[in-house]
Amino acid sequence: MQNKIDEENLNDELAFLSKKILDLNKKLIESEKAKSRFLSLVASKLNNPMTAILGILPHLKIIDTKENRFFYELVYKEALDLDFKIQNLVMASEIESGKIDVSYALVDPIEIIKEAIESLKYLIEEKNIEIKIDSKIKQKIVTDPKKVYIIVKNLISNGCRYGFENSLLWIELDIKESMFIIKVKNRGDAPNVKYKPEVFTRFAKDASGEHGLGIGLSVVREICQRLDGTIDYEAEDEFVTFVVKLPFDEEMIDSQAYGSNEFLFESFDDAIEL
Amino acid sequence: MIEGNSTFIHVGQIHVDVAPAAISTVLGSCVAVCLYDKRLGIGGMNHYLLPFWNGNSLQSPKFGNIAIPKLIESMLEHGASIKNIEAKIFGGASMNITSSCNMMIGEKNILVARETLKEYKIRIVAEDVGRENGRKIQFNLQNSKVLLKYTVKAKA
Repeated sequence: MQNKIDEENLNDELAFLSKKILDLNKKLIESEKAKSRFLSLVASKLNNPMTAILGILPHLKIIDTKENRFFYELVYKEALDLDFKIQNLVMASEIESGKIDVSYALVDPIEIIKEAIESLKYLIEEKNIEIKIDSKIKQKIVTDPKKVYIIVKNLISNGCRYGFENSLLWIELDIKESMFIIKVKNRGDAPNVKYKPEVFTRFAKDASGEHGLGIGLSVVREICQRLDGTIDYEAEDEFVTFVVKLPFDEEMIDSQAYGSNEFLFESFDDAIEL
Repeated sequence: MIEGNSTFIHVGQIHVDVAPAAISTVLGSCVAVCLYDKRLGIGGMNHYLLPFWNGNSLQSPKFGNIAIPKLIESMLEHGASIKNIEAKIFGGASMNITSSCNMMIGEKNILVARETLKEYKIRIVAEDVGRENGRKIQFNLQNSKVLLKYTVKAKA
């Protein structure tokens, strides 16, 4: 009898507190709404022109002088950097709108990494960082290439940005216990945060003024979660290592058969209809 | 038999479609809110993991108090009228009833659905929530009916 009364009191208390949180949270959401709107606006309005600029740039014929080459490279570098930021905003906006979809394909992870390195070549050159790729994966794997590209691009970019000049950046790929593991390790100071999760917080107030948009790692975390994976990092003796783990199914090489489609073929015989 | 598109949604997704179509998902302590405008045959579903946005991460619809208003907004964008929208809610199972540290996520998820829908004056016409079973649901927009089966083992 007493137990029942306790349980009822507990449930009442839970309902009361939850309603209170809901109310307070509403004010918080309201105050942050501007950021969210801005995000989706930026994503949609900037993406198309940027794609056009990047498409056209390589076809520009410049009179080949040292000065022209310098300016061309400068424009190309800035365009690539801007495009990277816009891609993060687009992804953040997709996540926030609930329209983020996973699209699996059979891909070579090394190719994705090389593509990400190519698009970050100016940053890598600027800091004179040498990149070493160590892959224990010999075959192609089934994953969402676009999402993995955004994950590795953010990790490599951060590794270069916050890593020491003239240092090494290691990328390790492995498959362990049915997980596809990506490790990005650089020499540099540990992220300047009080608590670890703050690193993955959007627009975190970072002590150093050199922070990017403050959105990259929050996007990466959301993507990892969407792919049923995880992300974490370790910082030790001037080395920072980000580790991404994504599920890997060895038998699954046919992208058509992947994912939740199986569910759709299951019968709903004897189901309850509501 | 389902006609038209059949879409499976995961945690943090929102999908709105027009009949003939179906939307399905699998739930444990997560909750899915199904909304339907009977007059126009527009229906939508979300699937959220946690009741409240934490103020730090992206405002993704994996949080109930983000996912439900966004689903309603999306329904309205598709042309639905708030007066004609009805709701059905599913999920919110207790994953481990004996554990004191499960934070009663399922219960809170259900509560957020009820409170938020009440605020928008949307009537809940059917529900199957709580208890310990995971659920598979398929929302058929042609007849606005939801087919529900319990899963053997609860899923997140």
